[in-house]
Amino acid sequence: MANLKSRINLRDRGAEYWERSPKWRRVSLAVFFIALCYGLPFFNNPLINTPGSDFQSVLFYPVGMYVMMAIGLNIVVGKSGLLDLGYVAFFAIGAYTMAILGTKTSLNFWEILPIGVGLAMLSGLILGTPTLRLRGDYLAIVTLGFGEIVRIFAVNTDAIGGARGIAGIPTPPDVFKAKFTILDPKPYYWLLLTFTLLIIWMVRRMAARRPGRAWDAIRQDDDVAQLMGIDTRKYKVWAFVLGAAVAGVGGVIYASQILSIVPDQFNLNISILILACVVFGGIGNVWGVILGAVLLAFTPERIRFLSQPRILVFGIALVVMMNLRPDGILPKKKREHFDPNWHTVEESGEGEIK
Amino acid sequence: MSENVLELKNITMKFGGVIALNDVNLVVKKGEILALIGPNGAGKTTVFNVITGVYKPTSGDVIFQGASIVGKKRFTITKLGIARTFQNIRLFGESTALENVVTGADVHSKTGVIGSIFGTKRSRREEKAALEKALELLGFMGLKARAGQLGKNLPYGDQRRLEIARALATNPKLLLLDEPAAGFNPAEKVALAETIRKIRDAGYTVLLIEHDMSLIMKISDRVAVLDFGTKIADGTTKEVQNDPRVIEAYLGAPADAS
Repeated sequence: MANLKSRINLRDRGAEYWERSPKWRRVSLAVFFIALCYGLPFFNNPLINTPGSDFQSVLFYPVGMYVMMAIGLNIVVGKSGLLDLGYVAFFAIGAYTMAILGTKTSLNFWEILPIGVGLAMLSGLILGTPTLRLRGDYLAIVTLGFGEIVRIFAVNTDAIGGARGIAGIPTPPDVFKAKFTILDPKPYYWLLLTFTLLIIWMVRRMAARRPGRAWDAIRQDDDVAQLMGIDTRKYKVWAFVLGAAVAGVGGVIYASQILSIVPDQFNLNISILILACVVFGGIGNVWGVILGAVLLAFTPERIRFLSQPRILVFGIALVVMMNLRPDGILPKKKREHFDPNWHTVEESGEGEIK
Repeated sequence: MSENVLELKNITMKFGGVIALNDVNLVVKKGEILALIGPNGAGKTTVFNVITGVYKPTSGDVIFQGASIVGKKRFTITKLGIARTFQNIRLFGESTALENVVTGADVHSKTGVIGSIFGTKRSRREEKAALEKALELLGFMGLKARAGQLGKNLPYGDQRRLEIARALATNPKLLLLDEPAAGFNPAEKVALAETIRKIRDAGYTVLLIEHDMSLIMKISDRVAVLDFGTKIADGTTKEVQNDPRVIEAYLGAPADAS
């Protein structure tokens, strides 16, 4: 069994192949995959199409949206080890900002986007600053509460539509030839994909540098991290704020596509599902998380023809998968790693200290 | 000439009714190796925890380089120049040896999260500096070949050495070593003694908790002895060796003492 597992170890194989590849191959592979992602709406393959719902719509929501949110939540849960069960709140704040400003002011999508992200970040800061003293389960409970508070606040506040929500949210203005209309989900998908790629790029840079190391240290041993000179509070709040920003982007785009939102769209299920994407794909590894989100978002749509038992089948698939790969599909690398560039430093047994 | 790096002034530390440290005074001079010894439960690690800000002393003051550090945040104290290792090894086991040390070296970087995302010039320069420093320290501790291995997969002795490397990476003015030789064989102890002396000679000040008397006698400039939270002796190795109270603490009172 162990042998079989090591033979199908996609992560290590993939990572090794990537590391051994020369630059031109890396670039062309990356370009190929990005092009593939942009071209996805045009594929009409019976393997991946979704009978019972429009494939192009499914690509935008839930697949694209889940991927983006899972990447955002992965900063919080995967990188810094903070269990956040109220992530949907930031999504809701982004969506409501778009809805309120879009219907009540003349601002367009591009002007509202930074405001929505800013408000989501601010709420992350407000929630994070006092609560990140808490650890583990206690933090999870507080964030769970926050997620519900935001939803219930929206239900009970008539000024923002109450339980009926907000309708008539404007679509983004056209970009080049792409027209954003309710009938065509493709431009929204491309918009989402563009932001997702941007976020992946940012997250990867952070993860490889000082913030990534600080988050690694905090996740593994908070006390020692402090004693090694890391301002753990600051980095935890940053993780929260950045996670919130990603959900905020998602919320603004979502609201502009769906045209009307109601508070009950932002329920606890979303938080749990996004967390499931992160855990299912592989906590801490951005590629695993993306794969997890794609699978968890896509599978229920793919098997929609089963109608009633489809959630049961989905649940069974989840349980089976988590038993086979408890660390997720593509877990964070535990591989011993040595960057070839570092070999250049001579391998002396004992050096001198300055 | 001998400037005091650290001074503990009348430190008392109570946990409820338990008095872990009772009116402890201690001076660490610049450039020396001071060994802190005492039977188990004497309060040695508590001294470290008070110095590094893990505990706030019930009363008394900790003066580091002329300024009080009581009540300061732990990471601030580390930034000011106190670094430590742990009695029970506490490495970042899921990070590589190199990453562990670079994490320590990050203390002196000023780049924040935003700077790291956009890869500012300062960010790149600091990343490079931290990496180079970490590699240098791995070399110094004889761990260069282990750079890419995960902390938890290192052999026991290398884990202890890696902890020292990680602490050194913060560029401390005072290095606190909590039983660095625990579990070492005699040959490893000799090598460690040599390393600690080299660290001292490089200009660091070392405060050391240790049980191995021969190691202490070999390397320390001075010895302080704790027993039941009270400092009972303080002086050169010779003085302490012949102090009747120390002998009593370790071996018990002579039969005719009463």
